[in-house]
Amino acid sequence: MKLVLILALAASALLGQTDTDQATDLNVNSRYIIESISFLDQRNYKLSTSALEDIRRLVGAKVNTEALDRLSQRIRAELRAHEVTFKLMRGEAPEAVRVLIHVDQAAGVLDASVPKLMYNSRQGFTGVGEVAATAGPNALTLRMLRDSDTLIEHFSGVQAKYDWLALDGGRIRLGFEFDAYQDQYDSATLAALDGASRPSSLGAGVYGSRLNYEPSATFVLAAPLTLTVGLGFEELSSLPTAARPVSANSVINTLRYHQRWTGSGGNKQELDAGYNLRAATTLLGTDLAYTRHLAQARYSYSRDAQSVEVTIVAGAICGQAPLFERFSLGDSAMLRGWNKFDLDPVGGNRLAYGSVTYGYHIMRVFYDTGSVWDPGKAPELKQSAGIGVSGGLGVFEKGAFLLAVAFPFRSGPVIPVLIAGMNF
Amino acid sequence: MTVSSQGLLPHHASGEIRVTAPSLHFLTGKSLSRLHDGAAVPFDFQLIIASGSKNNVVARALERFTVSYDVWEEKFSVIRVRDFRKSGMRLSANSAESWCLDNIFLPAGSLPLDQQLWARLEIRAAEPREPLATQADSGLNLATLIEIFSRPSRPQQDRWSLESAPFQLASLKP
Repeated sequence: MKLVLILALAASALLGQTDTDQATDLNVNSRYIIESISFLDQRNYKLSTSALEDIRRLVGAKVNTEALDRLSQRIRAELRAHEVTFKLMRGEAPEAVRVLIHVDQAAGVLDASVPKLMYNSRQGFTGVGEVAATAGPNALTLRMLRDSDTLIEHFSGVQAKYDWLALDGGRIRLGFEFDAYQDQYDSATLAALDGASRPSSLGAGVYGSRLNYEPSATFVLAAPLTLTVGLGFEELSSLPTAARPVSANSVINTLRYHQRWTGSGGNKQELDAGYNLRAATTLLGTDLAYTRHLAQARYSYSRDAQSVEVTIVAGAICGQAPLFERFSLGDSAMLRGWNKFDLDPVGGNRLAYGSVTYGYHIMRVFYDTGSVWDPGKAPELKQSAGIGVSGGLGVFEKGAFLLAVAFPFRSGPVIPVLIAGMNF
Repeated sequence: MTVSSQGLLPHHASGEIRVTAPSLHFLTGKSLSRLHDGAAVPFDFQLIIASGSKNNVVARALERFTVSYDVWEEKFSVIRVRDFRKSGMRLSANSAESWCLDNIFLPAGSLPLDQQLWARLEIRAAEPREPLATQADSGLNLATLIEIFSRPSRPQQDRWSLESAPFQLASLKP
């Protein structure tokens, strides 16, 4: 997950709790309040929910060397790093300090994991296996995946990504990603593409395989605000294979803001917002010209055992985008309970979606609503609700799990959808 | 790092033997970097007096001093772990080093007046994850310090060792 953990200065309620802990702290800096905790190299480290919880607890409290040492050891174990140390810097506010965590992976680390395993009783299994190797500022990630959930197409294949983090103290990250997928389609999708209902805005028919070459650069504009710019060169090998491949080459821009706050009284807030623009332009020699906008925001508030999370997503495509770019709802993350192939088997060029989740301890109750449609057609609002258990609010957290049953609001027979997932 | 010279100067005052070492600087290198990063770095001190020969130890003092560096005031602070109430605040690097030497001493009463004596000072910087071995009520566990100095230092561990020239207690200046 994006882990630029700049957490705002919390209020004094926590201070009283930690005074006793400070009694034996021999560090003169123990009188200062931790204003924020962040990673020195600005990298996206994936930590467990409990490690993130530890970080949240420390922000707003006085410096506690032992607690910071424990956190360092925990991060070292989770990231399998050679060494993890922390550094105190003057904070923005007087009498406050920033904690910068330094992860030393200079010796090189090879890590194998299963970052995602999801089952949806309508869509089937989705799984990702990952091998990540790091050596100094270099990170190489290889993934094998099978995804029946997130796109209209079912795709399986490999992703290989190289990241170099050495520029400007980690504030600039250069990357190159190569993806190779084999694609399959639901019978409803194939039927819709063959029929008269095939949307005129669809940029290409079905394709049997997809290759993607994607160089990118990520800039930390003002932590935690980041901008990623890159190019995507997608090559779609159409069915039948004798046909000439179709290219969808685009400029990619992503602006992202991810912030967490711990407030007085122990309440916690998190905002994860982003805007993504993909502009396939003839300047890049693309066969398909289109512009795809996607904006999304997720806000969560939790206090004691209760939590509320609100998600809003909006998207629009102008031009003729291929299937993998088109929007869909009715999967394991959005408009849960619906079958995306019932809603729109070829996806749409417009998307509006909102969701509210209430949590009490690990219990979750959610309500989803949204629509996916094409220009010229009236959007049809769909709704669903569900109940389940979850180990985290954000789906990005390592160790978060979800087991839920979701129901679509519709007339006629209602078949619940079972969703089970784990972020290892 | 080891400094082994005769740069250790013993003094006798108020019935106690103390030492000074003008050429000794242990707030350097890796330890100083850790301090500037806001960490607290413990230093273990052993002051030994030998009589007759350098191997005949007749008195020994052990102390652990925890040094930290105030990231706002840019000054050093030292606490004698055996007694948290004993501390030096807002010190320069040299003053912090001197403060440690001022606060390790031996009673002179048990030392022979007319025999040749040697003083030896050993300092080791504790490793970042080495347990402090503190006890909430009585401060430092003395047995732990003895154990630390009875084993060889690690290759990466900062250590310093100084010896004095031979001296007689009666001839020491305050």
